[in-house]
Amino acid sequence: MKLKKFGYTLCVLTPLLLTACGGGDSSGSDNTSGEEDYSNYPEQDINGVIQWGEGGATDNISRTVAPLVEDELGGSLVMENREGASGATGAQYVYDQPADGYTLLFGAENPNLYQVLGISERDYLSDFKPVSIIGQSYAGIVVSADSEYDSLEDLINYSSENPGELTMGTSGEGGLPHVASSMLQAELDTEFNQVPYNGDGPLATALLGGEIDATVLAVSAAQEYVESGDFKMLAVINDESLDAVPEAPPITEPYPEFEKYLPWGPFQGVFAHKDTPEPIMDKLTTSFEAAQEDEEFQETLDNLGVEPMNIHGEEAIEFLEQNQSTSTWMLHDTGETEVSPEEFDIPRVEEEE
Amino acid sequence: MDILQQLLIPFTDLNLLFLVAAGTLAGIFIGAIPGLSVTMAVALLLSLTYSWEMLPALALMLGVYYGGVFGGSRAAILVNMPGSPSSVATSFDGFPLSQKGEAGLALTLTTIFSFVGGIIGVAVLATAAPIVASFAIEFTQRDYFLLAMLGLLLIGSLSQGSMAKGIFAAGAGIILGLVGMDSIGGGSRFTFGSLQLMNGIDFITAILGLFGMSEILYQLKSLNEKGERTSLKKMAIPPLRFIFKFLPLSLRVSIMGVLIGALPGAGGEIASLIAYDHAKRTTKKPDRPFGEGAYEGVIAPEAGNNSAIGGALIPLLTLGIPGDAVTAIFIGALFIHGLQPGPMLMEQSGDLFWMMVGSSVLANVFLLIFGLLVVTIFMRVVTIPKQILLPIIAVITVIGAYALNNSMTDVYWMLGFGIVGFFMKVHHFSVAPLVLGMILGPLIDTSFRRAYMTANDPGVFLAGFINSPISLILTLAFVFTLFSQTKTYQHLKNNITKKVKKQ
Repeated sequence: MKLKKFGYTLCVLTPLLLTACGGGDSSGSDNTSGEEDYSNYPEQDINGVIQWGEGGATDNISRTVAPLVEDELGGSLVMENREGASGATGAQYVYDQPADGYTLLFGAENPNLYQVLGISERDYLSDFKPVSIIGQSYAGIVVSADSEYDSLEDLINYSSENPGELTMGTSGEGGLPHVASSMLQAELDTEFNQVPYNGDGPLATALLGGEIDATVLAVSAAQEYVESGDFKMLAVINDESLDAVPEAPPITEPYPEFEKYLPWGPFQGVFAHKDTPEPIMDKLTTSFEAAQEDEEFQETLDNLGVEPMNIHGEEAIEFLEQNQSTSTWMLHDTGETEVSPEEFDIPRVEEEE
Repeated sequence: MDILQQLLIPFTDLNLLFLVAAGTLAGIFIGAIPGLSVTMAVALLLSLTYSWEMLPALALMLGVYYGGVFGGSRAAILVNMPGSPSSVATSFDGFPLSQKGEAGLALTLTTIFSFVGGIIGVAVLATAAPIVASFAIEFTQRDYFLLAMLGLLLIGSLSQGSMAKGIFAAGAGIILGLVGMDSIGGGSRFTFGSLQLMNGIDFITAILGLFGMSEILYQLKSLNEKGERTSLKKMAIPPLRFIFKFLPLSLRVSIMGVLIGALPGAGGEIASLIAYDHAKRTTKKPDRPFGEGAYEGVIAPEAGNNSAIGGALIPLLTLGIPGDAVTAIFIGALFIHGLQPGPMLMEQSGDLFWMMVGSSVLANVFLLIFGLLVVTIFMRVVTIPKQILLPIIAVITVIGAYALNNSMTDVYWMLGFGIVGFFMKVHHFSVAPLVLGMILGPLIDTSFRRAYMTANDPGVFLAGFINSPISLILTLAFVFTLFSQTKTYQHLKNNITKKVKKQ
């Protein structure tokens, strides 16, 4: 009698357990068939590994594009988060799986910096192939509304005269504010007291509470506070101003020397192991390309403050190269990295032109 | 009038009503299984509800949130394995209660006071959200440091027997908590070049191993002894006087819970620990000593962690800042459904705010109903023979550890903690301080360093502890708690009470 009741509870629990573990190993035993026929791809679930945690921008974008890609591919995508070590854990996991197109990496800009920061050996350009770069966002330099600095020049002038006195909130090694303030330090000869926080949310909180003097936020994260009058955005890191924050001048207005680094900013993309067979890559790229054309998805990107890119192949690789060389050399020039990007054959930005 | 209408939307719309109910019920079961986290469940719902309207999606997610936080205490009470980090404190007195045959009573009491805590959380959310939000953003890194230090003083309450062993366990926990990539400097600590270790050690594997697996190993020792089977006492319904008796305590810890929950850097797990500590310090004559099945010891953490949900929603809805990991996913949901979470949210979509308040009330009502209904099913777990129960728990701990990150590494950690926990039990070390150290260690580490870096000068840094009102209060609380443990204080106190009596 008692056992019967318990059995009943177990019955209720089992489906829950199964759904929760659904993201398990589905990496294939498919290697037997050799290399000839990929036309049936996908024959099993595809694992989508998100390299950041639940609720972040990468997570939101990945989870919204996934069902659309499923429709195009005619197979299912099982999404899971493997966060940690600035996303390096997820990247390493995908790299370690067979290159059969059944494990995809949904990542952000971070792997571009792993090598120079010594976080991991993995790197987008040498270890993965881009399936699609979904979109790019922009960054802006913000201070709180009651701050005495009304323009970027004010802020820079003060910090050049009083090096180390202004506190700049960052989101840790290789994060957006870290690279951006390195950019400012390299070009404009300033020095900030950098204090790392855990991402955009805590940074916005710290700025609201007056704990830090300035920070660099994704425009999407800052925009609401600018509208409500809590923050002032002193500049957007772009060569023209953005619709989302029309009052904020582009950084090239006071400082044209930033032109060569642009476009630069955080991005989200989908990647496969570098040895993934070409036919599978083709199928993936076309499916992801078609999926992103969905109107509702475009709207979602817009809400998230992401500019749709939807690029793949050579174009995507060029984009990655440009982004990597800007960020890594920037960090190197300000002494933030011990290893030179040269060691990894990353060319300097200037040399490209 | 508008507000009332919006508030009542979830009550009158059958569809929403059903979704909140289903969410709460599913949440209770997900929460009750260790390792299946509320965060994970809500994240799954995010893609599941992508094509839905916004209100139904949020109603379902809120239901799972409330149900999940509550459900964690079921496993903590019944099998001494906290289903979620915020129910660790519930196991301290919850499991002794069920060993004494009072599982039913413990389950019922925690259900009622979870409801009380949850409702207070919602009430504060509805009436004082802007005030609490401005308090929450005034809370600086220095204050987080002090709060975590206050939490660390709990070792005193948790280490049964030898204090030195408690401090040793907590120290070990802090060191284990530091393993991995340092989020401030970016360097690796104790990783020996391994990427798995770079990730850090998830403290949930420690909870599963130290509470779950080690308990199984420990009980194996006495498996063949013909001990008396735990009998169930009939009384599962608490007498009415209980409710009035514990109401003041639950009110106090609920207010603390809301405030801690509203802090963007602290959530239910810290709220429940602080609530437990508060109960232990303020209850003069508990029915039983704490740690041996005091009712106050299960009521306080449960009221505290459920009220923390209302608290966590406050910065989300007023400032667009997540109060914890689950509310971070809510931010994603709002974005996806076309809203901009931020300080303008209340003005631009006030209806959403009141709909969330309404759904929260509803989720609490369902939590009370389902919580009480399933008590009779859940309490039978205690009567299952160990030969059957222990293997089931063992399987659940393994699945739970694997499900955390879909990684075998976590399973190995869990098994390792199980073996360590077994020897700790054999040699009379309490395992709770170790978990406490793992939870609080990283917070102490990062908040202290951030506070120091922001001050940028030792003098300014130290002055901050006295200059800022919040810091001053926390500093005084810390010093007083330490002082109250000393003999001088006991001596002074006795002298004063004697004098008062003479007069």
